Amino acid sequence: MGDFLVWVVWVLAAFACLGSGIAVVTFSNPFYSALALIGNLASLAVLYLLLAAEFVAAAQVLVYAGAVMVMFLFVIAYVGQRADTVWTGGPSWQFVGGVLAGGAILVEVIIAIGLGASGRLRDEADIDAAFGSPAEIGRLFLTDHLLAFEITSIVLLVAAVGGVVLGGQSRRVPEEEASLGR
Amino acid sequence: MMGPEIPLYLTVASFLFATGALGVLLRRNPLIVLLSLEIMLNGANLAFISFARRLGDGDGQIFAVAVMAVAASEVVVGLGLVVALHRRDLELDVDRLSTLRG
Amino acid sequence: MEAAAWVCLISPLAGALLITLGGTRIPRRLAAYISTLSVAVSFVASVIVFFALHDRPPDDRIVLSEAWTWLAAGDFGVPLDILIDPLSVFMMLIVSGVGALIVAYSIGYMDGDDEERRYFAYMSLFVFSMLLLVQSANFVLLLVGWGLVGLSSYLLIGHHHERPSAVAAAKKAFIMNALGDATMALAIFLLFWKGAPLGLSEFEYADGTSQTVMTLVALGMLGGAVAKSAQIPLHTWLPDAMEGPTPVSALIHAATMVTAGVYMLVRLHPIFEAAPEVQDLAAGIGAATLVVAGLIALVQTDIKRVIAYSTMSQIGYMFLGAGLGAYVGGMFHLMTHAFFKALLFLAAGIVIHALAGEQDMRNMGGLRRFLPRTRLTFLVGSLALAGIPPLSGFWSKDSILGSALAEGWYGRTLLVVGLAGVFLTGLYTFRMFFLVFEGDVSPFAREHVHAHGHREGPFSMTSVVAVLAVLAAVGGLIAIPGLWNLPLDWLGPVAEPLVEANALQDYVVSAISVALALAGIGVAWAIYGTGRLRIPRVAWLQRLFEKKFYFDEAYDLAFYRPAAATARGWSRFFERPVIQGSIDAVAGGTRRAGGTVSHTQTGLVRSYALALAFGVAVLILVFVSVRQ
Repeated sequence: MGDFLVWVVWVLAAFACLGSGIAVVTFSNPFYSALALIGNLASLAVLYLLLAAEFVAAAQVLVYAGAVMVMFLFVIAYVGQRADTVWTGGPSWQFVGGVLAGGAILVEVIIAIGLGASGRLRDEADIDAAFGSPAEIGRLFLTDHLLAFEITSIVLLVAAVGGVVLGGQSRRVPEEEASLGR
Repeated sequence: MMGPEIPLYLTVASFLFATGALGVLLRRNPLIVLLSLEIMLNGANLAFISFARRLGDGDGQIFAVAVMAVAASEVVVGLGLVVALHRRDLELDVDRLSTLRG
Repeated sequence: MEAAAWVCLISPLAGALLITLGGTRIPRRLAAYISTLSVAVSFVASVIVFFALHDRPPDDRIVLSEAWTWLAAGDFGVPLDILIDPLSVFMMLIVSGVGALIVAYSIGYMDGDDEERRYFAYMSLFVFSMLLLVQSANFVLLLVGWGLVGLSSYLLIGHHHERPSAVAAAKKAFIMNALGDATMALAIFLLFWKGAPLGLSEFEYADGTSQTVMTLVALGMLGGAVAKSAQIPLHTWLPDAMEGPTPVSALIHAATMVTAGVYMLVRLHPIFEAAPEVQDLAAGIGAATLVVAGLIALVQTDIKRVIAYSTMSQIGYMFLGAGLGAYVGGMFHLMTHAFFKALLFLAAGIVIHALAGEQDMRNMGGLRRFLPRTRLTFLVGSLALAGIPPLSGFWSKDSILGSALAEGWYGRTLLVVGLAGVFLTGLYTFRMFFLVFEGDVSPFAREHVHAHGHREGPFSMTSVVAVLAVLAAVGGLIAIPGLWNLPLDWLGPVAEPLVEANALQDYVVSAISVALALAGIGVAWAIYGTGRLRIPRVAWLQRLFEKKFYFDEAYDLAFYRPAAATARGWSRFFERPVIQGSIDAVAGGTRRAGGTVSHTQTGLVRSYALALAFGVAVLILVFVSVRQ
């Protein structure tokens, strides 16, 4: 019974994930795309839970869906909603090339999985209850991966400063710069 | 483990990645491009988490957290650019923003 | 004594350096005084050396003084040394003495010139180079001095560098001298290769070397001498060198540099004696030059050019003497020639200065009214040049002619040529004298004569000319055949003459030569002085002489045009297409490649992303296949 339930949850989450992913890419209105992305993040969080990564799932919902997407929505609202014609414009080979590249990557990865590292993906490890818990994540961050932790903090700091700098230059826009890109 | 095996999760992850890639390559609105980029990153994250579960090693989850942090930073910068572009009344079209041409 | 010799050598160099370092900070006059002083110090030092050497017994008069070892390679070494012997002291006295006088003259002549300092620096440099040449104790240093003298000549001829003719003349002089330098260098290489000693006081060059080698060496040395002394065939640069200021012509192209060739013939007489054919050749070249130059001088209109050709002719006499083995006679004539030729040039300089730069004799005439004392000194110089006793030229020229008589059939042939030259000398010299000073005052002169009050020129100029006139008058009395022969006593131990005329030969030759000289003067007086005789007009002869026997044209055809055509051909067919073309091709190709590659920089983010995606796809393929 439990297994069946898990399967059902999985199927729902997986399809929601894929569907919202396609939605993000295909909607012409950026606002709707952002909303679709939120859906994607939520379904991913469910999948993470199924994979015994509770902390990551929580972080995903709180940070990603909560903070990052809100920021996105703010900017989309600020910029104004402009529907853009999705598939037109740009060099014609871009379209063909894009589909080819994306398709190629997909196919290759599927094949790789299918060849399956010859069955070695079958066996899962035994895990204990602490796996994926905040305590475990915290322990790993502060012992084995301390450097990554610190560097990530610096990256975040730099991004924050950069965001402020980028956003705060509107006062001195010379007239001729406005012709860039036209 | 209950539920589907790891390869299925990986399949989902690769689909997500491919979808995101298509979005990056084929959309012209920079905001949509950034969103597609997020999709790709999420696909990668799912792969990491899957492998973490498979190997019983928490390192994959650490990596996923780090990826999330970096993704957040990159979104900040990207959105800052978009805002700056908008302030200068430039068209939000990656094909038009091509003055860095050779 | 050695210290004095070094001072003599270094003093002018120090003067030149001082002037150069002073640059525009020192006043122009000061540069002139520094230069004159440096050469005067040099003269005083050489006098000291002379007396010190004279104190020694005649067979102990060769002194070598080494500063340091200059070139050293294993066993081989070339020292930086100077040779103090009668011959070099003789030359030192002449070079520094006449040099000091001429540099002093320049104080007045070059006054007001824009680039006076440069002139005096180069004059000092020249004196140093010439002294280095005569004092050097080995072949290598000799070659260094030789080259430096040529350089100084170039620098001084081209003094008025804003005149293209002066620049061209300087280049011509330098290139022809370089030809001589090259043959000399080859001769020295040959000596070195054959293991002969390179010191000039060692006379055993001929030991163990074959006759052909010695002949080649002698030929090479002769080539250098011919170029430096402006003998045929390397003589065409000397008349053009008159573009330089008059004191330069006096010093370099009369008294010193052009006599370096004679010095070398005498200094290297062991080599030439080992190759007698070359020595005879030298005498022949001298004879040919003296008569050709005399003929050309007959039709020149520029006063300086007459004197230049006269120099060429007189050096022909010196070559004649040295070539026949009359070394002392040749050197004696070198000395007297330095006196009277410098005198003539400087007196001509006074005339030119008074006429504000005019050198064409057709515009002169009757200047005796304005420049009487200059006329007198010019007369003294002309008589000395023509060889009228008791002036200096007579004694020295006749010692050469006497030796020619004593030498055998070849000498007697050359004697005839030499006597013809005597007639010509009298003729062209007094043609010049009568044209310039005698007769009616020309309209040009009347307009332009610009004497300094009742003085004929600045004191620095007139005093020097006076001194030289005295020297030209009495300088020859140091050798009166039958009485005494001081040059022979002095130079004999170092350069033993091969021939000596006896008293009878001397008197006979002297009588004939004086008669011929007077005849030449008489004819000149008849044509130019009184106008009683008409100049015979033979058109083709006139043209031949005026075109200087077509040497310049011949050289132009034989050397310049082929060289220029070759250069043009190379430039057109090789340099431009191949060398320039390859560079252009590389540059153009790079630019085109860059242009092509730049098409990939579309500026479109999406294309870049596409490239990335394709790269990833390929990479995945690689990883997957490698794993399998």
